[in-house]
Amino acid sequence: MKSKRFEALAARPVNKDGFVQEWPEVGLIAMNSPFDPKPSIKIENGVVTELDGKARAEFDMLDSFIADHAINLDGAERVMAMDSLDIARKLVDINVSRKEILDMTLCMTPAKLVDVVNKLSIVEIMMAMTKMRARKMPSNQCHVTNVKDNPIQIAADAAEAGIRGFDEMETTVGIARYAPFNAMSLLIGAQVGRQGVLTQCALEEATELQLGMRGFTTYAETISVYGTEPVFMDGDDTPYSKAFLASCYASRGLKMRFTSGTGSEVQMGYAEGKSMLYLEARCLAITKGAGVQGTQNGSVSCIGVPAGVPGGIRAVAAENLIAMLLDLECTSSNDQTFTHSDLRRVARSVPQFFSGTDFICSGYSATPNYDNMFAGSNWDAEDFDDWNIIQRDMRIDGGLQPVKEEDVIRIRNKAARALQGVFRELGLPAITDEEVEAATYANGSKDMPDRNVNEDLKAIEEMMARKVTGVDFVKALEKAGFPDVADGVFGMLKQRVAGDYLHTSAILDENFHVMSAVNEPNDYHGPMTGYQISEERWNEIKNISQAIRPEDI
Amino acid sequence: MDQELMMKLIVEKVMEAMKEGGTPAAKASGTGKMTAADYPLSEKSADKLKSPSGKKFTEMTKAEVLSGNISSEDMRISPETLEMQAQVAESVGREAFANNMRRAAELIAVGDDRLLEIYNALRPYRSTKAELLAIAEELETKYDARISAGLVREAAAVYEARGRLKKD
Amino acid sequence: MTFDEKVLRSFIEEIIAEMAAQEEKGKSPKPSITDEVIKLELTESGTAPKGAASDEVVVGLAPAFGVYQTKTILGIPHDKVLREILAGIEEEGMKWRIIKVYRTSDVSFIAHDAAEYSGSGIGIGIQSKGTTVIHQKNLPPLSNLELFSQAPLIDLATYRQIGKNAAKYAKGEAPTPVPVRNDQMARPAYQAIAALLHIKETEHVDNNKKPQSVAVAFK
Repeated sequence: MKSKRFEALAARPVNKDGFVQEWPEVGLIAMNSPFDPKPSIKIENGVVTELDGKARAEFDMLDSFIADHAINLDGAERVMAMDSLDIARKLVDINVSRKEILDMTLCMTPAKLVDVVNKLSIVEIMMAMTKMRARKMPSNQCHVTNVKDNPIQIAADAAEAGIRGFDEMETTVGIARYAPFNAMSLLIGAQVGRQGVLTQCALEEATELQLGMRGFTTYAETISVYGTEPVFMDGDDTPYSKAFLASCYASRGLKMRFTSGTGSEVQMGYAEGKSMLYLEARCLAITKGAGVQGTQNGSVSCIGVPAGVPGGIRAVAAENLIAMLLDLECTSSNDQTFTHSDLRRVARSVPQFFSGTDFICSGYSATPNYDNMFAGSNWDAEDFDDWNIIQRDMRIDGGLQPVKEEDVIRIRNKAARALQGVFRELGLPAITDEEVEAATYANGSKDMPDRNVNEDLKAIEEMMARKVTGVDFVKALEKAGFPDVADGVFGMLKQRVAGDYLHTSAILDENFHVMSAVNEPNDYHGPMTGYQISEERWNEIKNISQAIRPEDI
Repeated sequence: MDQELMMKLIVEKVMEAMKEGGTPAAKASGTGKMTAADYPLSEKSADKLKSPSGKKFTEMTKAEVLSGNISSEDMRISPETLEMQAQVAESVGREAFANNMRRAAELIAVGDDRLLEIYNALRPYRSTKAELLAIAEELETKYDARISAGLVREAAAVYEARGRLKKD
Repeated sequence: MTFDEKVLRSFIEEIIAEMAAQEEKGKSPKPSITDEVIKLELTESGTAPKGAASDEVVVGLAPAFGVYQTKTILGIPHDKVLREILAGIEEEGMKWRIIKVYRTSDVSFIAHDAAEYSGSGIGIGIQSKGTTVIHQKNLPPLSNLELFSQAPLIDLATYRQIGKNAAKYAKGEAPTPVPVRNDQMARPAYQAIAALLHIKETEHVDNNKKPQSVAVAFK
């Protein structure tokens, strides 16, 4: 006889997920691998001669870079000698300030950082996140993509995402050659939604930089680093080339962050038998050493790997915390599907959503997931009301707010028309009124008419050849009768002259006022300190249209 | 960071700057070092900001762009501005980030195409040691980019040791 | 890296069997596999030359393809995959040549190497788990003409289309890219197994071995 209970359980979504047993020898283990090195450091004449159990002669490229760039050597020997448990307790002690913690953690080797966070429960990790996040107020980022690379839909979705509250937006491509259209549609659509929103386009490294230089994007994020040397090579970079690339962005006044995450090394076949969290700590040390202001981490696109092993989701929260312990902006993933279970996907987001991070999602899908070209996000457009109501239930600020249908329709229409005008002024393949209409009311690309892909690709090649830049978008928008959108794009271009938004955890408000860990540092030190939701903000969050008003009865 | 700590840091930085006397940081145009108190520069020190082509930040408006007085080339960050941002970063304890800003300040003068070429040359298996050293030499002599040249030389040595130079 | 291959093999077989069982239930895309048994024989004949013929497309195979692994992540036999790609190229009146890339298991680099060895400058790279890229030699390695990154979504018809499009690029045409497919539930179902398959592929990487010429026979 078969158990009917087990039959019912077997049919649950969670049992469609892929799970694997730990396998430390190939790195299929979230944290605490028996093969992880013990923390150690030796410094002779100001040079690190031993790092986490390895002598300098045995250093691989990553060890060399970390030893020479990533560790504050002044206090290193003292801090490395401290008991990891004592340090872990200080992390959750409200009487120990963020600054005092950083004075210790910035002196640590990757293995020491892992040793400290290994001591924390998931709730303690959340307490530490609340204190260690760099910027005072949390924020959120979205993905704006679609399976057809339809530019009008991108503009409309970006505008809607702008009024819903996202401070950063990321697009990418189905077909790589579509990138310039996707980037400019996102830039223009975002400024229609709310002036000051930062936009990026995830691409091959050199191509991504090129679009940034041209003013098609305003920041960059998909600058990947990896925790073992062979995987770094397969990523077609080295810590040195990536550090140079970081300076290339800053030399053009562009904000950027690196990307890394647990599971990428085992996913790419070379984990060298180390735990996912230890390898991620190496990535974060490289990020710090390269002088980059922040990271997108939290397994990101490899989330299916840690999620498949025991303790994996705790490790993902722990890696976010390590980023914060290195004083980095933490853009904390929650951006990729990893489960069929709605319960698991909410639980996975609780640590970052409830504690608040610099960007809770590094890609909340602003479209339905079938259009999400990062292969699906943990949260999508059809979850907007759930997210808003969880904010309201828990009195937390996850960066979004409820919106009215008529406002969404109006802003989507304006974005589509603005892009239509820009295409006309720049001599690009026409956007028809039917396309504008479809984008205004669309939920996803199934609601959009097809474009002539070859004609678009030809026009893109030609547009790039004649060196169109962001300044041309400003002029085109003005000519097309959208002076306020032109103001927005111009305002974003001007940011790169001042460089204020290069700093750690920077975002811009609707007046282009920068809020970063320099002028809005996190000063949490216990109850009723740090970020507090203002009355005005609470009204935005709590007033959902679904709620019945007593006076209406 | 709380206000008291911020005050303390500012006082320290000011004292430090005074001690150093007339030796202002490399290329800073202002007097004394920038700190978190001067930030955001676009609001509190806007008059000190200029593009590499000499256009004043405060005079950069959309109208100037539309009339053609300001081009895409004018809307760029200058080495002086990045040095000021590096000082702001140092005032809040972000030395590695400040160093990145200083490398970046050196690279402003390198044209887009050449910059991309150098980046690509630094990727694994792209260059011989001699090619990397020539790039370092070029950065140093042609652009006075000493910190960046140092990074390229360091990479050349590490790539050689790890077998990541160009294979024929 | 050392570990017990037998354990791994049985582990992978088990998961593949489980996946196949799940597919039976319906939802996942099902490959059109006939029952006839065809064997793929790949014979290496030394270091591959760089091609000069402008009418060729080079297909680069990952280190384990057809030898140590014989099916994609969906269980499509490698001989069928290769036959569809080659047929697609031939349909467009172009020639093909096959190389085995050993220096990497990364599909972008495999495809880029294939493009560099191709007289037309167009190459296709294919991993054992089925991930495929169409590449052109003057593009950066991690960029591409067309990328089919979600191996669980690639069926035999798509492989043929990939061959056809690569041949069209080689002829200097601008084909309409094969429509991109997206399934947000591919990751939850397949990522862990993809990692295992890739570890297995990477086992056979030889960083210092140049691309090898490969003769193919379907039996």
